[in-house]
Amino acid sequence: MGLRSQWEAGRLPDVIGLLARLTLGVVLIVAGALKVTSPAVSARAIRAFQILPYDFAGYVGYALPVVEILVGLLLVTGLFTRLSAAVGGLLMLAFIIGIGSAWARGLTIDCGCFGGGGTIGAAQTQYGRDILRDAGLAACGAWLVVRPRTAYSLDHRLFG
Amino acid sequence: MRPDASKKLKAAAPKQGPNPVIIGAVIAAVVIVGVVVAIVIGSNSKSSGAPGGSAQPKGVVAGDAGGILANSAPAKSNAPTLDLYEDFQCPICGELEKAMGPSMAAMSKAGEIKLVVHTLSFLDDNLKNDSSKRAANAVACAADAGKFLEYHAAVFAAQPAREGDGFTDAQLTAFANTAGITGAPLTTWQKCTSSGQHAKYVTDTQSAAEKAGVNSTPTVKLNGQDITKTLSTADALVAAVKAATK
Repeated sequence: MGLRSQWEAGRLPDVIGLLARLTLGVVLIVAGALKVTSPAVSARAIRAFQILPYDFAGYVGYALPVVEILVGLLLVTGLFTRLSAAVGGLLMLAFIIGIGSAWARGLTIDCGCFGGGGTIGAAQTQYGRDILRDAGLAACGAWLVVRPRTAYSLDHRLFG
Repeated sequence: MRPDASKKLKAAAPKQGPNPVIIGAVIAAVVIVGVVVAIVIGSNSKSSGAPGGSAQPKGVVAGDAGGILANSAPAKSNAPTLDLYEDFQCPICGELEKAMGPSMAAMSKAGEIKLVVHTLSFLDDNLKNDSSKRAANAVACAADAGKFLEYHAAVFAAQPAREGDGFTDAQLTAFANTAGITGAPLTTWQKCTSSGQHAKYVTDTQSAAEKAGVNSTPTVKLNGQDITKTLSTADALVAAVKAATK
C-alpha cells in the first residue's frame, strides 16, 4: 500500500498516534523515575521556581514524580489515551509556564525536570531548550487528545 | 414447549468487554493512593532528619535557625551584616572559601562585618549521604567551644576531591584538633557531635534558608541583598563591604 492509501485507511495516523503516545509516555516515566526516590530534592526543585507557596510547592514536589510515572504508564500501554494525554499535555503546559516565568523573572535555575534542580550559574541555564522539548511533548499530547485512536493500544483491545 | 433460544441469543450477542468504568475507577484509586503515599513519605522525610537534640549552638542570631554569628568580638556599630549560606559538601563553596574565606575572617575579626554563617545541608539529599548534616552539627558544636571559624576553615580545607565522598567521623574529629579544640572542651565537643546535639538546629537552618528563597550554595548576602554574582575576587567583596559601611 502506498503512503496515501495508508493515510486514507487510517493506518498512518494510527502509527503517528502510537509514536506520540510512546514519546510522551516514556519521557514522563523516565522523568518521574529519576525523581521519585528523592522527594526532598524534587520538592526543592519546585520551590526554586518561587511560584507556589512553600508548603504547597513541597506537596507538588512529592506528588509530581508519582503522577508522571502513572500517566506515563497509561500512555505507553494506551489505556484511557485521551484522558491521560490531556493530563500529560497539561503537565507540559504547566512546565512551560513555570520555566518561562523563571526565565522572565531572571532566575537562574535548573528546571529539575529530570532530577536535580535549584539555582545554577547564569551560563548554565537551558530555558530555551527545556521549553522547546516540553512544547514538542505538549504537541504529542494535543495530537492524542484530538485523535486518541492509536496502533497497539489497550483502549482498542479492551473497549474495541 | 417452544425451543429455548436464550443460549443461541447469548452467543450471537456482541461479546461484552471489560467495563471501562470499573477499570477507570481502579486506576483513579491507584493514582490517588500513590499521590497521598508520596506526600506522606515526602513530608516525613523532611521532618525526621538526623536523630539528636534540639539545642541551639552558641552565637545563633535572632532565635531559630538564624545562622551563627562568627565574630569573636562585638562588631563595630556601623558594620554591615554579611550572611553566608553554604553546604560543606558544595565544591563551589570550597572555592569561595579558598578565595574569600581569609578576607571574611579578617573583616569579622576586625569587627568590620557581622559575619553570619548558615550551614545548609540539602546536598545530603542530592548526594545520598549525611555528611553535610554531620559536619554542620560538628561545626555548631565547635561554635559552642568558641572555635566556629577555625573548625569551618578546617572542614573546607579537607573537602574531598570528588563531590559526594563526604566526611568520616574520624575526619570530623581531626578537624576539631586542627581547630584547636583540646582538653575539656574537646570532650564536650565529642559528646555534642556524637549525640547530634544540634541536629534540629541544622534541619531548621535548611528550611529557614529555603523559606528565605536561598536554594543554592554558596549564597552571599550583604545587608540582606544577594551579592553572590558580583563576587569575582576577594577585593570585590572588601569593596562591597566598604560601600555598605555607613
